[in-house]
Amino acid sequence: MILEIDLREVLARSVGSPHGDLVTRSTGAKVRDSIEESLTGWTAAAPVVLDFSSVRVLDCSCADEVVAKLLLRHREGAGGEGWWLVIRGLTELHAEEIDLVLRRHRLALVAEEQGGRPRLLGEVDGGAAAAWQVLADRGGADDEDVAAELRLAPDEARGLLDGLVGAGVVRRAQGRYMPLTAA
Amino acid sequence: MTYVLDVPQIFDERSFDQFAAGYAGSSGETRVLVDAHATEWASPTGLLGLLCAGQALVARCGHKPLFTAPAEREVAHYWARAGFFSHAADLFEIHGSVPRVRPNPERNVLLEVTPVTVADDVHTVVGRIQERSAAILTSELGLDPKATMGFGMALSESCQNIVEHAGTGGWVAVQAYSWRNIGRRVVVIAVADAGVGFRQTLEATQARQYGERWGDAAALETAVIQGVSRFRDPGRGQGLAGIRRWLDRWHGKISIRSGTARIAIVPPWDKDEPLRDGLPHFPGAQVQLVVPEVERETQ
Repeated sequence: MILEIDLREVLARSVGSPHGDLVTRSTGAKVRDSIEESLTGWTAAAPVVLDFSSVRVLDCSCADEVVAKLLLRHREGAGGEGWWLVIRGLTELHAEEIDLVLRRHRLALVAEEQGGRPRLLGEVDGGAAAAWQVLADRGGADDEDVAAELRLAPDEARGLLDGLVGAGVVRRAQGRYMPLTAA
Repeated sequence: MTYVLDVPQIFDERSFDQFAAGYAGSSGETRVLVDAHATEWASPTGLLGLLCAGQALVARCGHKPLFTAPAEREVAHYWARAGFFSHAADLFEIHGSVPRVRPNPERNVLLEVTPVTVADDVHTVVGRIQERSAAILTSELGLDPKATMGFGMALSESCQNIVEHAGTGGWVAVQAYSWRNIGRRVVVIAVADAGVGFRQTLEATQARQYGERWGDAAALETAVIQGVSRFRDPGRGQGLAGIRRWLDRWHGKISIRSGTARIAIVPPWDKDEPLRDGLPHFPGAQVQLVVPEVERETQ
């Protein structure tokens, strides 16, 4: 089961703004509170999709409050278990803002951009990003597949994949590593 | 006796220090006349500078300073359409002819002088500019539609500096006009306040490590170049960095004056100085963003 959250609706509900402008830090905090309220009691191990497709302007301060702080608080509170966050419907500019705020906090997540393939935003080193790409291309793989694809020692591949699990962008299921997506 | 603070004939970023010197000279005076009767043109930065001076003089003197409106009818009309007099009336005892013209967004005035005090004001400003001006930015200045979304971001982050740091209200104005040196039209965003300024905002967390070098210039460098804010949260201090990235992409310019210093990120088309210190003191912070029309051959 997927929980989809339309940020324009949340914005209208939390600050009464008719526009789709996610701007200012205080607005970001109110929107995050509203999202957290929607997530109260949501214990399913399933994706929570933040849908940005009707967002017009997104500034750094608001992106920091809505996306980075939501991720930080979820990790602190839930130890990485339960739901996972995926964002969807980003423009190039939105993606850039979110990527930068995530990097400041050394965070990462999966984004599905308008008309594009899923990709990682935030801080992920080159080796881990390559491993994630293998998973994304195959819809999941075990550590040996990834090691073979990237010509790495199995331990090294496992280290990268476990790092991606720790970063909250991959889940382990039945001996395989699965990229977190909205699907 | 009344102290006369002359407004430069052409009042823009370049003549701002002349005005600031006059303002600094008014220190100790209780009756001040801000005299714009001979002023022929003011940029958004100039108009907001006048409001900042009025705000600071009211706070200092406890009453409204006097203000002489521009004698030239067209100049006064333009200032009225730009929304200047609507706000000046709260801060000055105005003398001279003030046209009864409603503030009116048009081809040059993309956003009339608008007060910014709380976060809701920032929403209003961004909403207005996106609805009214996106088409002008795209069609007249040749900006990519993607740039207009960045425009909203830059406007929002600039205004938030007032809400979060100034300790007082401020103003924003956006205009488009031809830039003297490059023969192209530009969009100018001016955001200004007469609040505490960058130095005081950052003093508690940053002054110690600078020791004797601490001052307005060091504070501006810390905020603009290093992206440091007064908060420990690593997510803070990104607003100015975001503005710089957007301006860099569109060959724009940012300059910020605060206290006795001024910093600028200077694009190749301009010859401004990156950092100036020891300027006449002027309260608060005055931010100017300039985005030039895209060169036709590169479109």
